[in-house]
Amino acid sequence: MTTMLFAKALSVERSGQRVLNNVSFKVDQGEVQALLGGNGAGKSTTLLTFLGFLTPASGSAQVQGKESRDDVGAARRAIAYLPEAATLYDHLNAYENLRYFLSLAKADAHRRTLDAALERVALQAEAREMRMHTYSKGMRQKVAIALAILRESPILLLDEPTSGLDPAAIDDFNRLVRELAEDGRTILLVTHDVYGACHVADRIHLLHKGELAGTFDRPSGIDRIDTEAVHAAFATHAAVS
Amino acid sequence: MNGLMSRLFTIARAEWQLWLRQRLALGALLVFALLLVATSLVTALKASQEHHERTHQQAAAEASFLSQPDRHPHRMVHYGHYVFRIPAPLSMIDPGVDSVTGQSMFLEGHQQNTAMFADARASAELGGFENLTTALVYQLFLPLLLIAIGHGLIIREREDNTLAPLLAQGMTGIQLFAAKWMALAGLSLALLLPLAIMGAIAASQGAAVLASAAIIGLYALYVLVWCSLILLVSTCVRSRSIALGILTLCWLAAALIVPRIAVESASSAVPAPSKLETDINMQAELRTVGDGHNADSPNFQQLRANLLAQYDVTRVEDLPVNFRGMVAQSAEAGLTEVMNRHAEERMALEAAQARFAASFGWLSPVLTVSAGSRALAATDLATHHRFLREAEAVRFDFVQGLNRVHAEQLAYRDDINRNRDRQASRRTRMSADNWKVLDEFSFEPAAAGERIANASTPAAMLLAWLLMLTAIGILAARRMQP
Amino acid sequence: MTATTGELEFLAKDRAALLWLGIALLVASLSVFLGLREVGAQRTVLGALVENDRAEREVLTGLHQDWGSVAYYTFHLTYDLPSDFAFAALGTRDTAPWKHRVRALALEGQIYETDADNPDFALIGRFDFAFAASMLVPLLLILLLHDLRSRERTAGRYELLSATSASAGSPWFARAALRVGALLLCLIVPLLIGGLLAATSASKLALASLVVTLHIGFWWGVCAAIDRLCWSSPVNLTALIGIWLALASIVPATIKGSVEAAVPLPDGGTIMLTQREAVNDAWDLPKSATMEPFIERHPEWAEYAEISESFEWKWYYAFQQVGDQVAEPLSNAYREGRIKRDRLAGRLAWLSPPALVERTLQGIAGTSMTDSIAYEQRVRDFHSTLRHYYYPRLFRDEAVSDASLRERPEFSAMNK
Repeated sequence: MTTMLFAKALSVERSGQRVLNNVSFKVDQGEVQALLGGNGAGKSTTLLTFLGFLTPASGSAQVQGKESRDDVGAARRAIAYLPEAATLYDHLNAYENLRYFLSLAKADAHRRTLDAALERVALQAEAREMRMHTYSKGMRQKVAIALAILRESPILLLDEPTSGLDPAAIDDFNRLVRELAEDGRTILLVTHDVYGACHVADRIHLLHKGELAGTFDRPSGIDRIDTEAVHAAFATHAAVS
Repeated sequence: MNGLMSRLFTIARAEWQLWLRQRLALGALLVFALLLVATSLVTALKASQEHHERTHQQAAAEASFLSQPDRHPHRMVHYGHYVFRIPAPLSMIDPGVDSVTGQSMFLEGHQQNTAMFADARASAELGGFENLTTALVYQLFLPLLLIAIGHGLIIREREDNTLAPLLAQGMTGIQLFAAKWMALAGLSLALLLPLAIMGAIAASQGAAVLASAAIIGLYALYVLVWCSLILLVSTCVRSRSIALGILTLCWLAAALIVPRIAVESASSAVPAPSKLETDINMQAELRTVGDGHNADSPNFQQLRANLLAQYDVTRVEDLPVNFRGMVAQSAEAGLTEVMNRHAEERMALEAAQARFAASFGWLSPVLTVSAGSRALAATDLATHHRFLREAEAVRFDFVQGLNRVHAEQLAYRDDINRNRDRQASRRTRMSADNWKVLDEFSFEPAAAGERIANASTPAAMLLAWLLMLTAIGILAARRMQP
Repeated sequence: MTATTGELEFLAKDRAALLWLGIALLVASLSVFLGLREVGAQRTVLGALVENDRAEREVLTGLHQDWGSVAYYTFHLTYDLPSDFAFAALGTRDTAPWKHRVRALALEGQIYETDADNPDFALIGRFDFAFAASMLVPLLLILLLHDLRSRERTAGRYELLSATSASAGSPWFARAALRVGALLLCLIVPLLIGGLLAATSASKLALASLVVTLHIGFWWGVCAAIDRLCWSSPVNLTALIGIWLALASIVPATIKGSVEAAVPLPDGGTIMLTQREAVNDAWDLPKSATMEPFIERHPEWAEYAEISESFEWKWYYAFQQVGDQVAEPLSNAYREGRIKRDRLAGRLAWLSPPALVERTLQGIAGTSMTDSIAYEQRVRDFHSTLRHYYYPRLFRDEAVSDASLRERPEFSAMNK
């Protein structure tokens, strides 16, 4: 198995504060892993470091075996990133948004390709020509995921992808993530939703105040991680702080 | 009611405190204050220096005229005289057209000269906004400052999600609008303090107190127009950066584009021939009046006949008056009539152009306030025309005074023989006492009452702007939703 | 799909950007139109004046029988034709004269007459392309570019855009470049159309386009620098407008003040007074006091310099010239002072790009202070040829003849 993402004793500082301290983990191809933690645990920081927006104070963040900060372009080409509360352009419709962002990535944007992706994220056909300011949060999220799919990059970084979605949408989303992983994509997602993470991830890293506080694996042959164990660990740390 | 006022005042005060704490607002305020003080000092110094210089030059010109030795009076007609326009005290606030019109004028017989040595011809050319004056800083740059500080007054509450709690506490949109308006208006009026100080200084230097007060009132009205516009945009628009864009566009149009469009439109709607065109076209008319140097010209046959009949003599030599002097008087009167008619036509056209351009004030309060400000400061086109008319009156009086001396005191026989022998020539020299026909010239602008009347149209326009914008703002505020 | 067409489609949907670009196009077109109209009007006025002036001289032919009177009564029109690029920068033509009538009397008494337009107009200024390009365009560019990054940051798209983009920094550069390019087109196209209509030489148009491009490039740099500071959009815009204000007005005002303090000019009134005193004193002085300094300048007339009558025209014109000679040092100082001020201002204008652009465009259009002073010099030269025409006829006391009148110099305009 190829290692796609590798955090090696990673420490990051933001405005003088250490927000990530000596965190190590790796994500192999085709795996779905989740970073779980409360506010300020350092989850998003980890993603931004892989993308090269932040540079490690020590340790390293590698994408496909290469240090992100050494070749930011290569790292970003390999990654499709879905930010928290992804806001695309309100004054454009779904197709226009996708086309625009894909043009930035110099990726293909045929109407059929776009439709296939939107089909896959289950965005209603009648909504696709409408400007995004008429969309609900779930619909916006779908377009953003479609964009991530269309990028055809081997790695997906998803920041709080399910926050604010209704339960049905969350189920749809989790299914989609699993499918993508089965297609061979590597997915790292950030969430504070224990239940969702247990259902979708192969492995969960629990982050607390910038430090790795525990790792939970999905036992082979079972379709989810033990929710209660993760809950218990999460609660312990929350109580300590 | 008292409770309401104190509530509004509390909100306004919170805004002032915020501005003092925000580095941007405070920095912009400080920079503006510095610019204002520096410009005011420079404008005031220049005005006082020019006042001094021209008063001195005027006195020197009069002294030099009066100290001319005994000579033929017509020589003095050509020697001529200078008048200087001493700047009005309020020009320290708004020098107006003074810098482009020229401040001195040579007066002589038989022709009307233009004002000469305008500053603009000798000054460094640097793009059009290099002539900073106190008036310009208030007209152009104070609105920018108010936009920078005030565009977020209501939007900020919206973006920070504090609008909903405010409205939920029972405060109405109109009250919020009023409170924010008070905050911005309070700051704007405080920024008029330097203007008030300059007005007071000008008043102490002889400006009419009424005109000084009126100029401060006019600018107060002007800044309030901007306050209402800014509040209106801040109420209606939902994002700070869009509001800032709209307000910048308004400023761009009002300050930079509309005034120049007004100039272009006025010059094509009311074409005025240049003085040179008028001069050339006037030549034929002037020839029918005749050349006053040539008493034998057929143009003066009628005058000769009338005089001979009046004094019941047959030869001009026997007239009790000097015929050449009479011809000079008659020709000067005739020429002046023609020249004045054309000059008045030209001035009427220029005034019509100015009125046409002023009608664009409905599109730009900047244009309106600048017209009103020049009128009050006595640095407008009307005052320039007044200067031209008064200078012409002085010219005509001294030239005719000298011609009268020529006609009444100088014997005709000596006059026609003056080039023949030295004795005759000496006899044509009139005593220098006669040079006292020259009146002292001291240019006084129109009375304060008249200037205020001239500025009343711009003031009314500004008031209309203010009422309209405030009314729309209040309507928009009434329906304010979080 | 390439990044450029993607950005182009994006720009086509950006209503705010389209608004600013539309205003730029409108402003540029209007300024070119108004400039063309003004130049056309000036040419019409000059055409009529030249005609009237000639007719006026013809009326005078035969009216006066001696050269003294002919010279005294005959005016000559001089003028400065607008160049083929004057439509874009009217420059000093609204305050400085571009038409002037002179006669063979003392020149210092005539040359400072100004035949200006309505002073209200000169005060406000004309709406020409130079004004649009130097003052308005930076503001429009600021409005276009000030929130490129900050807007995305506020909307939470900044990371997504950067992460999606194939190469670091590229969406910003492409986006800005496209807007800058569009703005440039909105300016240059009307200018070129105006140039075609006015038959402007290609080199002038190319040079002017280059100047405008560099100016826009400068402001792009300023906007990019401020945008990098990661402030919010309103702060960016306020800061940029502050910079515009400083560079367009405060720096020029400071330059103007310091130039005028550094290069004092003799008072204009003093030149006139000196000249007048010299001319008037001559009447009371012995004739030799006039003829000696005159002959010093014109030794060729030494043998005719004897004045026996109490009034002779040659003496009259001699003291007119001597009046100019007396005022000459002051007059030269005044002219040189103006040239020096202009040069100094030209060097210091590098501190203010808008002022520099305005001056450069005026330079290309032949409407700068230098050109205005050069026109004044042409008037002086013409006046001098006029004197040289009259002197032989006055001094040799020739009879006025039509043949001789036909040789009289006429002012010929220089084509720029």
